[in-house]
Order: sequence, then structure tokens, then C-alpha cells
Amino acid sequence: MTRARLIAAVFTAILSTGITELAAAPDEKTTPAHAFRISEETDALLDNYCYTCHDEETQKGDIRLDNLGGLESSKRLDLLNRMQEQLYFQHMPPPKKKRQPSEEERKAILTFVSTELGLHGASTLEGKLQKPEFGNYLDHEKLFSGEYKDLPGFTDDRRWLISEYIFNAKFQRMLENNPKAKRNGKNVSVLGSSKIQNLSLTNPFLLPNVSGVRYYANEDLTGGHLSSMLTNAQKTAEHITDYLVKRNKKYLPAINEIMALEDEHHATLASRRQFLKTFIARLSDELYGNKNESLLPIFIPVELKAVKALAEGEKYKKAPFHVAQNMLKGLEGNSTVYQSLLDPQHEKKSDEEFRKLCELTWFYFGDHERKIQGRMTILRDYMPELREQLVKDNGRKIKPIVYKALDDSEMDVVRKSITKHRKKGDHYGEIIEKCIAEWEQGFEQERIAAGPPSDQLLSDLVNQLSVQILERSADTTEAAEYLALSKSYVTKLGKLKAIQKLIQTFILSSEFSYRQEFGTGEADEDGRRMLSSRDASYAIAYALTDQSPDEELVKAVESGKLKTREDYKREVLRILKKRDTIYLIDPILADKNYRDNTTDTAIRKLRFVREFFGYPAALTIFKDEKRFGGDRLGNATSRLLNETDRLVEHILENDQDVLEELLTTEKFFVYHDGDNERMQAASDRIKSIYARFKDLDWKNFKQEDLLDHSEFLRKVKMRSVDPDKLEARNRQGNTIQLFKKSMETITARLDKGQQEAAPFDLYRGYGNDFMPGYNISKFFNFRMNNWDYQTIQPAKVAHRKGLLTHPAWLIAHAQNTETDPVHRGKWIREKLLAGTIPNIPITVDAVIPEDHNRTLRDRLASATEASYCWKCHESMNPLGYVFESYDDFGRFRVEESLEYPDKLITKSSDKGTLLTDTRDVYKTLPVNSTGYLKGTGNDSLDGELKDALDLAERLGKSRRVRQSIIRHAFRYFMGRNEFLSDSKTLIEAEQAYAANGGSFDAVILSLLTSDSFIYRKAIAN
Amino acid sequence: MNRRRDFLKTSALGAGAMALAPSFNQLLAASAGTGAPKRFIFIRKSSGIRPAEIALPDFSDKDKALDEKKQALEVDLDKHELPKWLRGLDAHKEHMTILQGLSAKMSENVHYSFSSVMGCFKSNRNTLSAIKRATIDFELAKLFPSPFGHVELSFAGGRSGIVSGYSAPSQQTRNYCYADPDTARSELFKSVLNPEAVNSDNDMLSFLQGREGLKASGIKGHEKRRQEMQIESIHAIRERNKKLIKLSGSLARHLPELAPVHANGGANASTPEKQAAMTDVLIAALKAGLTNVVTYTIDDLGTPVTGLPGNETDRVGIHPLGHDEAFGGVPAWKTREQIRISHVNQIKTIVEKLKQAPEGNGNMFDNTMIMYFPENGETHHGIGLESPFLIMAGNNCNLDISGRYVRLPILGTEGHKTLGNFYTTLLNAHGNPMEHYGDLDLEMARKKLDQTGAIKQFMA
Repeated sequence: MTRARLIAAVFTAILSTGITELAAAPDEKTTPAHAFRISEETDALLDNYCYTCHDEETQKGDIRLDNLGGLESSKRLDLLNRMQEQLYFQHMPPPKKKRQPSEEERKAILTFVSTELGLHGASTLEGKLQKPEFGNYLDHEKLFSGEYKDLPGFTDDRRWLISEYIFNAKFQRMLENNPKAKRNGKNVSVLGSSKIQNLSLTNPFLLPNVSGVRYYANEDLTGGHLSSMLTNAQKTAEHITDYLVKRNKKYLPAINEIMALEDEHHATLASRRQFLKTFIARLSDELYGNKNESLLPIFIPVELKAVKALAEGEKYKKAPFHVAQNMLKGLEGNSTVYQSLLDPQHEKKSDEEFRKLCELTWFYFGDHERKIQGRMTILRDYMPELREQLVKDNGRKIKPIVYKALDDSEMDVVRKSITKHRKKGDHYGEIIEKCIAEWEQGFEQERIAAGPPSDQLLSDLVNQLSVQILERSADTTEAAEYLALSKSYVTKLGKLKAIQKLIQTFILSSEFSYRQEFGTGEADEDGRRMLSSRDASYAIAYALTDQSPDEELVKAVESGKLKTREDYKREVLRILKKRDTIYLIDPILADKNYRDNTTDTAIRKLRFVREFFGYPAALTIFKDEKRFGGDRLGNATSRLLNETDRLVEHILENDQDVLEELLTTEKFFVYHDGDNERMQAASDRIKSIYARFKDLDWKNFKQEDLLDHSEFLRKVKMRSVDPDKLEARNRQGNTIQLFKKSMETITARLDKGQQEAAPFDLYRGYGNDFMPGYNISKFFNFRMNNWDYQTIQPAKVAHRKGLLTHPAWLIAHAQNTETDPVHRGKWIREKLLAGTIPNIPITVDAVIPEDHNRTLRDRLASATEASYCWKCHESMNPLGYVFESYDDFGRFRVEESLEYPDKLITKSSDKGTLLTDTRDVYKTLPVNSTGYLKGTGNDSLDGELKDALDLAERLGKSRRVRQSIIRHAFRYFMGRNEFLSDSKTLIEAEQAYAANGGSFDAVILSLLTSDSFIYRKAIAN
Repeated sequence: MNRRRDFLKTSALGAGAMALAPSFNQLLAASAGTGAPKRFIFIRKSSGIRPAEIALPDFSDKDKALDEKKQALEVDLDKHELPKWLRGLDAHKEHMTILQGLSAKMSENVHYSFSSVMGCFKSNRNTLSAIKRATIDFELAKLFPSPFGHVELSFAGGRSGIVSGYSAPSQQTRNYCYADPDTARSELFKSVLNPEAVNSDNDMLSFLQGREGLKASGIKGHEKRRQEMQIESIHAIRERNKKLIKLSGSLARHLPELAPVHANGGANASTPEKQAAMTDVLIAALKAGLTNVVTYTIDDLGTPVTGLPGNETDRVGIHPLGHDEAFGGVPAWKTREQIRISHVNQIKTIVEKLKQAPEGNGNMFDNTMIMYFPENGETHHGIGLESPFLIMAGNNCNLDISGRYVRLPILGTEGHKTLGNFYTTLLNAHGNPMEHYGDLDLEMARKKLDQTGAIKQFMA
């Protein structure tokens, strides 16, 4: 769509005046020297509506509009851009002003402003309108009114920069990476990890950390991306040539073919070097017999720094043996030491004799004096420990190296070379280096004689790289160009570097970083063409997953079966139903070592909900464990996020009334991995322990009393309570102490009439015996010492209704130590009610005043309910206030703690136990969680709100909310804001949802088979 | 002082450019620099600096009591003796600051902080996704562009070659570093030592530029502009390479010479030899104008140490030393002190060599700040309650700190300052008016104590 048409379409929505004549505005041929002029009509309009506040005298906001002609060009264009925005968004004249321009008058002023900006190519509005934050400025009612449903839907021909997830997937696929995660307690291969083998790649395509739709097609590939990709390409190329092709002969086989001779030579050299390094002394004895010793250099022992006596009272703690052993290994001395100790001929040697033996070995080899000194110091200080280590190991890890000669022909080469190069006084190491140098030279000559790789081999390489990296064969012209480039690389850099450079060249191609989405074939009467089949396969694959097209999609393209709407439907449905691929949900959780973090649902369907609600941000809000009330908050937050994902996955899997369920479900997962049977079994186990001991005097048990329960204990496997190892202990205590610790927590979870036992750790130790993150209970107000655990989940949780009352969402939309009614309200206004909130004015110092005697709501009200602020805040605060019945950890509350030192009532211990709460107790004030809902377009829903549950209930019933979510889904799957020409697509998506019992799959299917998705239009200048 | 809005508006490195890779940004901005640049050298050490170790030994009783009670205190250094291990810097007291009382709880502590001590976030055991922002050194490097932008040197883990560093050019990215003097020299002075290697990318870039150019010919509108940007980006990198080749003449004058023991990673070089050689490369890079910001991890718990007085023939480990486990009959505390002295020797060399290098009406040190600090807080198992800093700053320093021992009030009390406050001070004083750098401290937040912004008493 041209800039003018874009303006036209969007202006239509605001102004309802049909397509405007603004298309006349930008004309690239117009001379920049054009003289600025305001027509009398325009000046009269400005005089009527603008000059009152913005003339020479008043200059409100330091803005003066009555001297536009007197400004220098750049300042005038800057001001005109600001005018254009204010007029377009109807921020000016201020809505409270009685005197407003008619639509025609507003259009006339806008036409003047846009024309002037267009003449200079200086308008910034179009760029802004493509940004996610401006999506809602398109009038919601008009979009769904049906008035525009006959406009033909389409998307411009475009390239779309890959996302951070596609970047990971591309490298994972290209490098045949196979990351693992956990699903239902089992290790599984997953797609979507950010860890690409041992490569530390920089992902230059990170998406913004905002809630809502994060991935738009309006980002450009910049020098920054390219710079990072240069390094990535270099690392990847080395990884491929040095590791991958050696591990897998079928991987880019042309590389191994080109490098065959080099590889053979390297292998031969490595084998000879290794043999000589280990056995040169023995071989020399064979070769030179008694004369060998006389040829060796004269032994010069190293000097060690003498150990000084300690000063009086000085303490000395010798570093433990394992440290010394590591040092010896770092000094490459361990092999000689242990091999010599293992050699029966040195068995009787004293420590002194043994040290001398080692030193001689190292000296004759020619090791550096400092290395020998370091090793000898260790031998001086740790000889008994080294001998003991050998006894302890008992041949398990430390094994004697048995002499094995090379092939006869190789041995001949080695012997000849040694005798050729050895000089009297040479260290063994020097002899080896001289031999190697000779062999290397010979091999190099051999390679020169063999000539460069053939054109055929290089062409094979080009094609294999094209398929592996760009996922397609090179066309004839390309192939020829790359072949010429390869040959030039080989000439200048040699084979290996040339291959690496060629790999880099492919990776740095813009095709690697951009998704292509272009129409092909005959244009219809509206100038639209269908996506090319190949581009369509990527568009579908990337809409639902981060992966390249799967095998079926590739086949569909190859067999010409991706050309009709029905074809799209078939493939989209197939991928939505597919359950044989497991995706990692969140690489950041995986980074935190939280591995049970997978889904078999098409990942981008789940990710839409994650990103739309923005709850993953809960991980990034830095929280205080003391205020949380317990430790391991990181684990608890990770689990919280994971269980929110599980809940969303559960709702999406049911696929009935999905949007309503997301907003109003009363059932949640709390410390549950989704496997009801496993959770029941875990609870039953704890209940059985409780039943066994509850009537016994276990508090006074002696260790041996446990033997009376040996069989039972073996069966239930209490952590660290093994009747066969009663003497065992760990940092938390001995067996009987740990038994009692466990019984305390077991008792607490069942002695108050609880039906089931929460399966958290029996005692708090290092590592977890069941599932990490048990402190998740605290977010939901479950006390660890009185938790009526639900083994069958999701299960009803009091005071919760829908994701907006889930602690993950509440934390994600909170500050570090306080709640955040403004941002919560803003989120609802923009994401659920399709509303708009202007940016905070730069002049506003947004600070909530401190007051030790007032609640946050009261303090916020005093700062925002002044009329100047309230015109924006009234759209946010009344929606956000209802969540004041939850604190900034998402815990339900009726009283707000005044967390000031002067309000402290009880100071709690900073170090908690598994069952206790570390929160300090402060004076409180009652929470006011009433609010107001306005903007659903439904009088029966708008009105006073009792609390967050009331709000959730009403939002769940609102059609506007449903439509707003569908608008965001449109943006998510299309990668752009909607226009009026997408009206039909949106209306049909909503109808599909309703007609299919609230199926979100139906929404996705509708969007991905819509004209907006299928049809593309060429960009005009 | 700059206003935040003006800064964002005028700076080529405003919010929109944050994600760009460092070298590219700085290359683009390099031509904009005028006058003598400011230089910053961050020297990271492991295993903590114990506050008592860096306290002045001859405090008055009153000052000693304040210091021990962690209450605010400020004394002139010229009236006091320095702790023994710092005496190598006696001649430079007027340029020295001992800064005590900064807390670092918002970064990672215990054994390692990885990127976090210079980024004020929790590093989640060095995972990439935990890197929240560009580290302070990269923020400063943006303000004082240079051909390399930023250089990271490191002896962490006893590695060699080009390996992962700790600094972060932007969120979720990790810098690389030169892990031995020979590599640092070869890479920094590559255009002198191996101009062909600098040229080696040019064939590839030229090919890519040609291909992308062909693609641009068939498209229109924004897609065309996109393609042009891609071509411009390739062109800019080619230009940078050309620029480096051109610089090679002047670089040659500063090329440091290294002893043969440093060849191939210098496996047999002693610690003092390695440190001295790396320091030589660092100074040469500054003098040659290759960079204005250097981060130098002088050791971490995995750095093997050898050749220090008392342990001349041993190889000792910093981790066991931190646990008071000793080697070669020398008590651990003595070896730890020798390690610190070896660090101070490097600082002394940098200060003195830069003082000898004329610049403007003075010398290069006038425009230089060296910050020596523990990566993990106050002890071997730091908790971040304190993070002592030794600062050496020249006459033109933008901060008013020199010649003083300053103790700030302890964490959780009125007037306490965090690492974030200190880094904000550095940024504000050098032209970035950022309101606050880094994560906030939760104890300060819990106690509702003011903790954002620069340390006003340091602002000149």
C-alpha cells in the first residue's frame, strides 16, 4: 500500500469521510525549494480553532502556530508533524473545548499539513501508525460495523525480519542441534532452545519486552544486526568445519570431500604425534640401545623455593589434595606421575627416587622449567596422597597405558625420521617437533600437487550450503556466482578458510534474516496476487511455529498443493492438530534450569496468549524474598510461570469458550505438573508415612528405632532416611534428625484434617526430592503448614477468576515493592477494551507521594485525580483499582500492610524454615478494591465494580473484549496493524469463534485463510 | 548538564540504537568525537576485597570507630598511610580515592558475579537471557567512541585466545575478550601485524554488497529502502576495515613488544610476566587511540597464579586461597596479599606510563579513570553488602573524588549508595543524563529509602 493510500485508509476510520484526497500529497519530483504558503481558507480555520491557544501571546505548551511561515524549514516541518499527529488522533483541539472543527474542516487542515509534509517527504505519521502501540487508533466500531467488509483484504508484498525464536530455530536446524527438556517426568527432544550446542551466538533479533504483540513486520535489518551476524557466521562456520562435518559424514559431505586429503594428513600427524609423545623414550631405547642415554641432554634439576618456617602463632592450612591434583592436571603432569606409579618396575622406589624419576622424564622430554617446578612442588607436598589416590581408584579410572606400535609402514616412517633428525643433546620433544615439521612439509607438497578442488566439488558445496542454510537450491545464476566466489576464496585463503568464508557468506545473505512474503501469478481486479507457494509454506509455518515448513508443507509446495484457500485450510488444521512435536515454551525458564517447560501445542498459539497477557514478565520483576515470606523465590516464580502456561495450554486444548475461560476460569494449577496420577501417588506416599508414624512417639525416636520400620522405609523411600545406611548424614543432619525434620513437615500437612498432602520436599535440603518451586503456594495464600492440597488439577482456588487474577499476571504488572493500578488499568483499556491512552506528557513527573498513613490507592488518587491528570487516568485507575485486593506478589488481601519502619509490629526472622513465613508484620489499612468499568459498549456490563472478580466476570461477557483480543490475534499472526480493508477478515474471525463454540483454533484458521493473509499487493513507489 | 530528552534526541546512541552491536555503533560515531576523550579502565578482581584490608591503618580512634561501624566518613589520604599492599601507589595519593560502603546486592555475589557487577542485575549463573542491559563500561564507551569502541582483556579461567567475556554490549549479549597478551596484541594491532587478515572480509562483503544491490533493483517503496540500508550497512563495515588499514601507520609506533614466553597463549609465563605484558598491551591500545574503555579481568577463581614472591615455583589457586587453603608453606593471607600487590603494580604502571604520555596541556592520565574492584563483593564468598573500590583518576576527572578515603553509610540506612548510584554518577558526569543505572536494591526499597540517581557529593 502506498503511503498516501495508507493515510487514506486510516483517516477514513477516524474521519468517516471516505477516501480522502490526500493521495495528492507526496510527490517525489517536487522541488525541495518549494515556498511555504498558507491559503486564506486554511489560515481562517487555524485562526478559528488553534490560534486562541497557540498565538504569539498565549503560546500554550510553548507552541506558536501563527508564524509557521516565519520558521526555518526544519523547525516548521517538525511543528507540522506534531500538528498532524494531534489532529489525526483528535487530541487537538482538546476534546473538552466546546468549539470543535467539523469533520470536513479537520480534513481540510490535515490535508494542508500532510501536503506540506509530503512535499518534503518529511511526514512521520505513517511510520508511527505501523507501530503496535498505534494499532488501536483505528476506530473499533467501524472495523466491526460491516460497513467496510467489501473492501478487498490484502497485505503488502514484504520481507519480515526473523524473530529471536526463528533465529534460534534456524541455527538449531542448520546445525542439527538436538536439545532436551523434560515432559511428564521424561527427557524429550525439543524444538526452540536458545542453546545452540556450545556456540555462544548473539541473537540480534530480540523482541521488545512488552506485553501484547511483540513481533511486527516493520523492523529493518540494520548494521547492528549485521555486525552481530558477522561474528555469529564466523563462529558457526568454524563449528561446522571443525566439529559437525567430522562427527557426521553425511552432513555437508562436500566439505569432507574437499578436505579429504587434509583430514587424512592431519589424522596421520595426530596419530604419529600421540604415539611419539607417549612412547618416544621406549622407541629411542629400541633404536639406540645403550647409546640412547648418551644422546640425551645433561640433566639439570629444577630448583624449588624453600619452605620457610612459619612465624610464631601463624596458622597454615594446606590446600586439600583434590586441589593439588587439579593443579597437577593443569600442569599436564598427572599422566607421567600415575603411569610411573602404576609401573611395577618403580614399585619399590622411595618418594625421593620416584620424584627424581618423574623429573628426569619431564626434563628429557624438554618440558618448560616452570612447569616442572610446579609439578615437583606438588610431588614434594602431596606424594603420600598421590599414592593413596591410586589405591583408592583401584584401576577404575587410572589405567596403565599399554604399548601399541603403529602399523609397520608408519613405524618405518617414524623410525627413519627420528634417526634422520636426532642430534646429541636433543630433548625428546625437540625430536618430535623436527619430525613433525618434515612430515608437514611433505604433506603440503602432496596437497599442492593434488591441485585445488574441482569445480564440480565446489558446485556441490555451494548447493549443499544453499540447501542447508537458505533451505533451497541455488538457481543457475547464483550457483555460477557462488562458484566463482568459492574459487577466489580457495586461491586466496586455502581450502579450509575458503569453506568457512563461503558458509559465512550464505549466513550473511539478507535472505537468511528476512522471511519473504511476495505475491505471484496474475493479479486480480484489485491488483492482488496470491502468495507464492513457497512463501505461503513459510508464512503458515512461521505463523504457527518458529520452524521452517515441515515435510508435509514442503511436499505440498512441490506437488502444487498450496495454491488455494482450501489448501491453506488443510495445512493450518493439520499443524494445529499435530501433537508429535514438542516445543520448549520459554528459553529463559530453561536458562534458569527449569526444564519441565514444554508443550506439544503449536508453540505460537500458546505464545500468543503468553505475550498478549504478558505474564512472562513476572520473571523479570526483581522481588524481595523477605517480603515474599520465604526463600527460593526464583524457583517459585519459575513454577508460577510454568503453571500459568500449563493452565493456558489446558484451556487451549479444550478449545471451548477459550477467551471467556482465559478471563474467568476459577480453576488453576498450583504446584502440579499436570499429571493427576503422579500427584495423587505423591500425596498417597506422604499420607502413608503419616499414617504409619502419627500415633507413635516419633519425636523421641532413637536412630535404631527406625530399624523396626525398615521394610516400610525401604518402600516409601523417605529422603535421606535409608534403614540400610543409618549412619549416613548430610549437611542438614544425620538420619534420625532428618527423619524427624521430615515428620514435622508431614505432620503439618495432614494434622489439621487435610484430605491430601502437598508433595513438597520432606525437609528443606539442597536439591529437590520431587518438584522445585513449592513456595508457589505462597502466591495463592496457601500456608505450607496448612495446605489443603488438590491432587486433581486444575482446581478451584478461592478469590481467583481468570488470568487477570493469576499471580503471574499480577506480578508482571506490578512494581518491585508495590502494586501498579495505573499500568494494570492501562493494560485492560488497551488490550481488552480496544481503547487508547496517550503517552505520558514529558512534563509530568510520575511519582506517587509517600505517606505512611495512607494506602497506595489513596496516595495514587491524590496524585492523579486532579483534572489535568484525570482526563487520562480516568481511563486507567478505576480499572486498576479493583486489583488492590491482591498485593504486589499477587496474594489476596483485605488489608494493606503499611511497610514503613514506624509501622512495624513484629519483626520476623530473616531465615525461614520450610513451614514458616519470614514476612515482618506491619500495621494495616483496609483495602478498597472497588472500581468502575466503562467502554464495553454494553450498558449492562459498564458500571460500578465490586472487585477484580466482578470485573473478570463482566469482561468475560463483553463482545468488545472478544473483538479486541481478536484484533490483537490478527496483529500477532499478520505481523502488522489492521486497516479497514481487513474488516471482513476480523468480522469472519469473530464469527468463526462464535460458530465453533468459542474455538480459538477456529479464529486462527479463519485468519490464516483470510484474504488479508493470502493476498499480497506489490509496493508502488 | 544534559537533559535526558535532549540526550535521547541528539545522541546517535539513544534508545533505538541500544540493540546495535557495539563495534558498529562506535564506528559510526567515531568521527563525531572532538577534543581529548575520557578513558576508563575497569579492573575486576576475584575473591573480594575485605573492607578492613583497604581501610587506612592509621585512622584516628574516632575515624576508626566510624569506619568499623560502617558510618559515613571522609578523610584526606595525604594525611594518612596507605595499607601495605597499596603503597606502590604512595606517589599518586592525590589521584587516589578509596571508596567504601557501596553495596552490590542487586548483582550476583558469592564466588562469581559474571556480567552482573558491571550491569547491576542478577546474572543467573551467567546465562545470556539474564543479561538485562549493556554493562557500565559499554555505556561509557558509547559516550567516547573509538575504532574498537571497547576492549576486554581477561585472565579468567587461565584461558587463552579469544573467548567469552563478562561485559555486555546490550541486553542478552555477551562480549568477547582477549585472554592472553599475545592474542590481545595480535588482534588489536592486526592491521599492522597482519593487514591481509583485515582485508580478508572484504571479498565477502563486496560480494554480498553486489548481490544485495541486485536485489534492490527490482523492488520499490519501503522494501527498497530496507535493501539500501542493508547495502549501506555492509558498506560501513568495509569502510571500517579500510579505516583500520589506514591507521596502521600510526599504530605501528605504539606496537608493544612481548617476550617469547608469551607466544601461543603463554602457557609457561609467570603471573607477574603475564600481568605486565597485558598491561603493556592495554597501555599501547590506549596510546594508539584504539579504545577509550578497557575492562580487565585481572583474575577470577580459576586463574592459576605462579611466580609471586613466596610462591615463585608453585602454582596456586585463588579459590583455595579464598578458603584459607595454602600452598608451598606460605599462609593463604600472605599469598592473597601478594596477589593484590601484583594488581597494584599494574595500576601503578598504567598511571605512570599514562602520566608520561603528553596530551593537550597535560598528559593522558589527566583524562583517565582507573577503577579496581572486586567482582563479587567484600570477601571470597561476598554477599554484596560492601563492594570496595580503589579509584585512580587524573586531573581532568569529571568527578570530585580524588585524594580521599570516603566511606558511605551502610546499606539500609539513609544516604547509602549502591553500585547503581556510582555507575549513574559516572554516566551523568560524562554526558549521559540517565536517571538511574541498574536494578534497585530491595532492602532500600523495602525501607522506602531514596536510592536513585547519581551520588551528588561526587558530582564536580
